[in-house]
Amino acid sequence: MGFEPLWGAFGEVFSLYNLALMFMGVTAGLIAGSIPGFTITMAVVLTLPFTFGLTAVEGLATMIGVFVGGLSGGLMSGMLTGIPGTPSSVATVFDGFPMVRRGKPGLALGLGVWSSFFGGIISAVILVLLAPQLARIGLEFGPWDFFALVVFALTITASLSGENLTKGIIAGLLGLLVAAIGEDEVNGVARFDFGFDAIEQGFDFLPVLVGLFAFSQLLSDVRDPNKARLPLMTSDAKAVRVEHVVAIKMVIANWVNLLRSAFIGVFTGILPAAGGSISNILAYDQAKKASKVPQDFGKGTPEGIIAPEAANNATAGGALITMMALGIPGDIVTAVMLGALLIHNVQPSPTFISDNPQLAYAIFVAFFLAHFIMIVMQAFCLRAFLWIVRMPMYVLAAVILLYTAIGVFALNNVTHDIWVLFAFGVIGYIMKSLGFPLAPIILGVVLGNIAELNLSRAVSIDNDVTLFVTRPWSLFFLTVALFSALFPWYQRMRSRQRWTLFYLPAACLALALPLVMMGGWVRPLLAALLVAWAVYMLFRHHQAGWALPQSEAHGSGAEKSG
Amino acid sequence: MTRMNRDVVVALLLLLFCGVFFWESTNIRLTDYASMDSTVWPRLILGALTLAAMVYLWEAVTGRVAVDETGGGAAADQGETGGGLLAWIVRYRNALYCYGLFFAFLLTLDVLGILIGGTLFVFLALTLLGRPTLSLVPLHAAVALGSVGFMWAVFTFGLRVFLPEGELLSIR
Repeated sequence: MGFEPLWGAFGEVFSLYNLALMFMGVTAGLIAGSIPGFTITMAVVLTLPFTFGLTAVEGLATMIGVFVGGLSGGLMSGMLTGIPGTPSSVATVFDGFPMVRRGKPGLALGLGVWSSFFGGIISAVILVLLAPQLARIGLEFGPWDFFALVVFALTITASLSGENLTKGIIAGLLGLLVAAIGEDEVNGVARFDFGFDAIEQGFDFLPVLVGLFAFSQLLSDVRDPNKARLPLMTSDAKAVRVEHVVAIKMVIANWVNLLRSAFIGVFTGILPAAGGSISNILAYDQAKKASKVPQDFGKGTPEGIIAPEAANNATAGGALITMMALGIPGDIVTAVMLGALLIHNVQPSPTFISDNPQLAYAIFVAFFLAHFIMIVMQAFCLRAFLWIVRMPMYVLAAVILLYTAIGVFALNNVTHDIWVLFAFGVIGYIMKSLGFPLAPIILGVVLGNIAELNLSRAVSIDNDVTLFVTRPWSLFFLTVALFSALFPWYQRMRSRQRWTLFYLPAACLALALPLVMMGGWVRPLLAALLVAWAVYMLFRHHQAGWALPQSEAHGSGAEKSG
Repeated sequence: MTRMNRDVVVALLLLLFCGVFFWESTNIRLTDYASMDSTVWPRLILGALTLAAMVYLWEAVTGRVAVDETGGGAAADQGETGGGLLAWIVRYRNALYCYGLFFAFLLTLDVLGILIGGTLFVFLALTLLGRPTLSLVPLHAAVALGSVGFMWAVFTFGLRVFLPEGELLSIR
């Protein structure tokens, strides 16, 4: 394929009419993403009817604008109010909100915006260059592999739990149980409805998320009547200016974290059904594990903002390639876009890029361009949003509580969702008061159906359970899951117990096996590198007389302060 | 109630919760076409949850439950254990106001709709959470009307999402 379709795509995307549509789309996405409860999905769904009268390129470019704007808009509410605007910005809150609370809102927002930008641009470059090759990985996945991937994602619960590991695990399991309530997606059978018709249809993810986060956060903020009457931020106007230059320097200085998170985002995006809601948590988790100061995570460290924001924007690129290359939605948003393609008589399939090269490249170019537009428009939207945090907390709380009800209602146009919001608002507040972390519940709710669906599919195809360990990708993810689950103990015991010296070499050796099983030459080569690295580490420990490291005492001190 | 006692009670309630859900799982209809019964996955979760709740109970009894220092309510409650029901109500009055008002908003949604009900909710929440002074009450009314009216207009006219209008407004 030559570059002609790419130049043609540039011509279409950069037309004045299309640019105007994209500006409107990005702005709408930024606003939608910043309102808790008003998700990107909802914004893209509401945009869909407006694209009927447009060409395929214009319609998709507008929706991509909304998509990118929404991904970036979520960080504003997450950082400034502590309520993630979208599921994709859940992990951004962990450090973004504390940084704002510490009086650095300008830096926090700058880091979020520029991490989103760079993450998106990296994923756009990867996609344009490597789209066909990346798409092939998704084709290798069967239900066993998806189930193993979800199991891996669930082990992150351990990292999200902090000191309260048992409570975190309970919270994660409660999330899985919540996802199992209502009509079973596989067999269409009602579960745990206790005879109530309202429960029979189950709970949508959105009201559960908003209920748990919004109510618990807002009501915790206004619990003290005196504090509730104070503004969220007391710093002057100069202090709330977005610190672009400092943020850019910090993001570039954290280039390893940025690249790793962007790759996690792209990879997660390629996997169907594993979207931004997973990638931002995965990237945060990996950044924390790789950090020299993991004890600073959760207290407003820049690394904790860069990772999730770079990953969630990069996920969008991965999700787009899955949609175009395989005809499979990477997430709910791309499912809506898939519908938009069908409306314009374009059939997404593995031959989509070769059959419709100009449209395919137009999507990539629009995705690229949307990030530049996002930077321009976010500056305006941030200014508008920043003055909100100067209001007293009780004003914000009262207004946002009502806005969440409106946003949640608009999802399905049923008041049942507002009741669900209310019920989970009560549950979330009680759980938070009892010291249960809420993030694992969300993870459970997101992953529950995906896990069950793929387990059921796997059993339907073949009831041989050994396939979970004989299929390379499944074994790969289960191995990663095992080491991920053990990681909190490793981190706590590092420099205290000798077995921790074997943890990383064992992980490398264990991961080499599925990579060899995958065949070809690239993956066995990677496996050989992992084995070589493991042997080298063991050799170094042997040379040091299996002495425990002195300076890496993250463990006890970190845990005590965290 | 001491912290340890509270954790024991919560763990026991969790075990009771698991028992109720196990019992309810016997009411799940079994189909003859399913390769994996609809009860398998939830029972797997419930089994794991029961195990985790038992570990939690053991930790609570032996005093090994970690204290949450991340700003959750539990930490805030340290040292606020006395006072009985009245003190508890006073301590959580703002949360109770919000839940009560939201519940009332939901109950009256069919009659008042989002515009009137939402404005009333925001106004009453503002007045109860803030100071109900003569200077602030008109400001609260203006904020309630402006914020709800703006969002209602955006959804109704901009996005064409028909929010519940309520019986009061639907009478023409």
